[in-house]
Amino acid sequence: MILYCITITLLILLAPLLLSYIKVTKMLLLFKRPISLFQGYRNFSKLMHKETIISKEASAITHYAPFLVLSPLLIVLFFLPPVVQGSYYVSFVDAFTITGLISLSTFFLMLLGLDSASAFGGMGSSREAFISALVEPAMVLTIFSVSLMAGNLGVGQAGVNLSEHFPKEHMASFLFSGISFFILLIAENGRIPVDNPETHLELTMVHEAMILDLTGIYLAIIETAASIKFIIFASLFAALFMPFGFEFSIPIAFLIFIFKLFFIATMVALLEVNTAKLRLFKIPNLLGLAIVFAFLSLITFYVLGA
Amino acid sequence: MFQFDTLSLIFVALILLGAIPNIFYSSGYLPHIQRKLHYQLHYFAFIFSMLGVIVSANALVFLFFWELMSLTSWQLILTNVQGKSTIKAARFYFIMTHFGFLFLLLFFLIVSDGELEISFSAMKLIASHFTYPTLLFFFLVLGFLSKAGAVPLHVWLPYAHPEAPSPVSALMSGVMLKVAIYGMFRFLFDVLYPWPLEWGILILSLGALSALVGVLYALSEHDIKALLANHSIENIGIILIGFGMGMIFDTLHLKTLSTFAFIAALFHTFNHMSFKSLLFMSAGAILHQTHTKNMEKYGGLIKTMPVTAFTFLIAAISISALPPSNGFLSEWMIFQSMLSSSHIDNTSLKLAIPFAIFALAMTGGLAIACFVKAYGITFLGLHRSTNAKHAKEVNPLMQSGMIMMTLVVLSLMLFTPFYIQWFDKVFVGLHRASIYAQIFPDGIWNMHSIGISGGIVSPLILLLSLVGITALMLFAYRIFNVKTRVHHTWACGYKTSPKTQYSATGFAGPIRRFFNWLYKPEEHLVKQTIAGHKSKFSSSHYEVHVKPLFEKIFYDNIAKFINYTSYWVYRLAHFEQTRYAAMIFNIMLVVLFSYRVFAHDFSWATFVLEFFVMMISVKILIIGDKK
Repeated sequence: MILYCITITLLILLAPLLLSYIKVTKMLLLFKRPISLFQGYRNFSKLMHKETIISKEASAITHYAPFLVLSPLLIVLFFLPPVVQGSYYVSFVDAFTITGLISLSTFFLMLLGLDSASAFGGMGSSREAFISALVEPAMVLTIFSVSLMAGNLGVGQAGVNLSEHFPKEHMASFLFSGISFFILLIAENGRIPVDNPETHLELTMVHEAMILDLTGIYLAIIETAASIKFIIFASLFAALFMPFGFEFSIPIAFLIFIFKLFFIATMVALLEVNTAKLRLFKIPNLLGLAIVFAFLSLITFYVLGA
Repeated sequence: MFQFDTLSLIFVALILLGAIPNIFYSSGYLPHIQRKLHYQLHYFAFIFSMLGVIVSANALVFLFFWELMSLTSWQLILTNVQGKSTIKAARFYFIMTHFGFLFLLLFFLIVSDGELEISFSAMKLIASHFTYPTLLFFFLVLGFLSKAGAVPLHVWLPYAHPEAPSPVSALMSGVMLKVAIYGMFRFLFDVLYPWPLEWGILILSLGALSALVGVLYALSEHDIKALLANHSIENIGIILIGFGMGMIFDTLHLKTLSTFAFIAALFHTFNHMSFKSLLFMSAGAILHQTHTKNMEKYGGLIKTMPVTAFTFLIAAISISALPPSNGFLSEWMIFQSMLSSSHIDNTSLKLAIPFAIFALAMTGGLAIACFVKAYGITFLGLHRSTNAKHAKEVNPLMQSGMIMMTLVVLSLMLFTPFYIQWFDKVFVGLHRASIYAQIFPDGIWNMHSIGISGGIVSPLILLLSLVGITALMLFAYRIFNVKTRVHHTWACGYKTSPKTQYSATGFAGPIRRFFNWLYKPEEHLVKQTIAGHKSKFSSSHYEVHVKPLFEKIFYDNIAKFINYTSYWVYRLAHFEQTRYAAMIFNIMLVVLFSYRVFAHDFSWATFVLEFFVMMISVKILIIGDKK
């Protein structure tokens, strides 16, 4: 139980660092002078002390939605696969509950965008609705095929099963679902090529547009939610698609896990540096690719024999 | 004449749960209606007839109440006639519902051998000796699914539901469609029991198609009640997906999985009753206050109508299948039953089911988008018209109806194990093993899937933790005592006005553009340009209308075909009595011959013989000599 709590605290604490790390890597690769690795924490503490400005047009939704954006994601943290051996984990919660909780958080985020009567908020919500509607089927199919390979629909148990005996005979479908999940990781977290988290140009914003009218503590909450969402996806990717390092002793296993998270972040940063943001109406092509890979993974799994 | 087995009683409970809050709401709505006696009479007769359909034990009583249900609801649509659209909608509904009735009548005439008063179990014997059981199945599908609103017989819903008074649309969409689902349960189990595999696959594909089509057209809709009507098509599709999976598992002898899928379908039937009634009630409250069904004219209603806004939010979360709502739980069960398809031996079937999973997941995503649109545009932001500005909360009677319905939604969420136990009894009554102990093996906290190493969900823990963590954070926020300041939304230096907000049309824009091949929208753009500049204009007006593809292709062409043939017949007859007589004679021949073909064994020799007899008779008697 202690290990379980440590893991969750570690994930919450690492979340802002990971996003800052991506930014730092990108800046280094673009020959810019990088920001500090701890910029995420600095932003958080600064926003916590700032005065909060609430829009006059906004309703009670603005007062409650930020908390409802964050709390489903915090609950998901409790359901993630274990990082080290002997740690307690919730074995049974399945992929639908996790995707459902993430959708619940997105639902309130989209309402938040529409609440302040600003055109940007509406635009962001509309785009987010479009993207997340297309992400949903790919996500369900991908996790379905992974859990078939792992032999358990519970995500926590699937992670353990995969690291204990990896299904070598299903390498092909494993690879396909890995590609699909990586695309989803990018799409759900609003990274380039789906959304540019650093832009402040209205035409390209998705996530930023929805939260344009928030300041102070509300903004801090939403930013935390975004970083936690990233770490959820990253640790799911680490547990399901890089199932190794679980059997080592506790400190080493933790280190390997953190290394995996940073590896994923580096991958995302490399991808961001090397691609341009897609036009909104090209995004379905990318997500269609994820859906096709998810189907391929299922089909190869079935055809090659369960 | 009447029967009260578990299946009937469960649907009686469904009707009562749907109708009792509705009666409160309806009495609050009454001052809004001119023909009060007409309305009240038909309203109560409607509820009564639905109960009658559920408890009837022979075909005659069933058909009587079924027809009464159709006729009363038809009259209820005509309560407030506002121009031609109401009459057109009512006529469309009348024709569609009698189209279905025709097939039900045929079904009953065949399975009861003309004795309409025999019990359903006696019908089973006759049906098992009938040569073409698939024909009977098609009669049932056409008869019940035209009422339930599954593709391709769904077209009447987005017309009929918006025109009816709101309490009636809540009843029609929430309860009446479920009576048709009851019919599917009752007659597929009691009369046509051993099903071939193809039937289940047909129901599953109809369900997947309805779910997608319903939600896609809902997204393109700006009329709030038509939007909800389209969502009924979607949810009937989801119910049919569960139902189809149950049928498939049953033919493959996976009995427990089959029971699980049927329970999921039944649970979703209840859930859809609760949240759809609530949504229609809230939409009716808004309509009552703003006198318009157009979503573009709403906005900011959360400030003036908090109760309506809250109930709508609960229902929207539930219909979007977000955890920990009841809608999520039943969709979770349907998903789990589809995921158990990995137990199926038939590889091609196994490969096909992921497509249904895809359809259901896609539906879920689009439903979230649609309800963000419906909630955000209606309740949030600034009011988009003066009507919305002057809207007030509705009267206490209507409010109490909505609050009671919210309690029904919440009870389905909180007391899931109780409801599941109850649904389980239906299938125990149908000689299946009870699976309640398998779904809830260790108390009420965890809900298990039936499949080997299936998923588990813990609704109550999820709810408690969500509420707990949110409350904790809110408490922390209070303690922090954050300094707040209220200021206008920043609008790039311009004044924030209702016109700067996103509209419903704009919100659905990206999705509409992506599905352009399906929608084929009619766009109207009028721009008042300044000095010939293309991009500078003083005023502009943009409208987009989507006519459902099915209606455009399927129905319009059928209408064209009927027009064409009737013109042909009219030309043949050209008002001569002898020719009319000859035509009637020929029609009788067709009926007699086809009765023989269907009711007795089919043989090509007699078929060819009869075909020639028909041709000769048509040639001699009707067409005659060319002059």
